[in-house]
Amino acid sequence: MEHRDDICVRLRSSPCLLKTVRELVRQYMDVCGVSAERRDEAVLAVDEACANAIRHSYGGCETEVIELAFRKRDDCVEIVLRDHGAPADLARVERKRSGVDRNEKLKPGGLGVALICRVFDEVDYRPGKNAGNRVTMRLRLPGALEGQAAARTEQG
Amino acid sequence: MGLNVEQSERRACAVIKVSGDVDLYSSPDLRATLVKTIPKTQCETVAVDLSEVAYMDSSGVATLVEGLQRSQKQKKRFCLLAPANAVMKVLHLARLDTVFDIRAAL
Repeated sequence: MEHRDDICVRLRSSPCLLKTVRELVRQYMDVCGVSAERRDEAVLAVDEACANAIRHSYGGCETEVIELAFRKRDDCVEIVLRDHGAPADLARVERKRSGVDRNEKLKPGGLGVALICRVFDEVDYRPGKNAGNRVTMRLRLPGALEGQAAARTEQG
Repeated sequence: MGLNVEQSERRACAVIKVSGDVDLYSSPDLRATLVKTIPKTQCETVAVDLSEVAYMDSSGVATLVEGLQRSQKQKKRFCLLAPANAVMKVLHLARLDTVFDIRAAL
C-alpha cells in the first residue's frame, strides 16, 4: 500500500520558528497516540534536527528552506527532514550516534545528533537527491514493539 | 512563552532565574547573562534557577556547560537550582545530569 505524508511543511530556516515546529510535532504525536513521555522526547529530537539544519547545513542563514514530512506507518511514526544546505559529516554523525565522542572533552555543543539517536528508534542520515541532507527518524509505536517481542519469542 | 532571564543575589549567591523556553532562538539571551555575570559577581557561587523553564534543548544545555566551565576558570561554584522536569529530561538524555551540581534549594 502506498503511504502518503499526513503533513508536509516547508519552513524558513529561522530559530524563531522552532517553537511552532515543536507545537506541530506535539500535536501530531498526540494524533498518533504516542505516550506523553515519548511525545515530549520526539518534540525535543525534531527540534534538534531542525536546529542542526539551521546551524550546520545552512551556517545560520535564516532565509533557506527546511522541509518536514510526517506520516504514520503500521508500526511507527516517521518524520523526514530535508534541507538543501551543506552535506552532513556522516563519519561524525556515526561517532555521535552511539554517544558522546569519547575523544572529545566536555564542551558546549555537539549534543544534537546524540539526542536525536537516543530518542528515535531508527535514524538515517543520507545525502539529499540533488544536494543537502535527508534525515529519516522513526519512532516505533507500542503495539509494534509487542508484536516484535512476540515474534522473537516464537522464533526463540 | 518566550525567555525571561533575571539576575539577583540571594544568600551570598548570584542567582540567575530563567523562565520560559530555552532553545536555539533564546539561549543567546541566557548566555549573555552568564558571560556578563560570572566574571563580575563577587559571590562565590553562581546559581541558575531553572524551576520555571518549560522547555530546554541542547543549545540550552551547551549554554549551561559553558557557564560551568567559565565559573571553574573564575574559581567559582556553579549550580543548577531546582531544574524543572523538562530540564532534567534533556540533561539525562545528554548524559550530563551527573556533571552539574544540582540543588533543590539554596
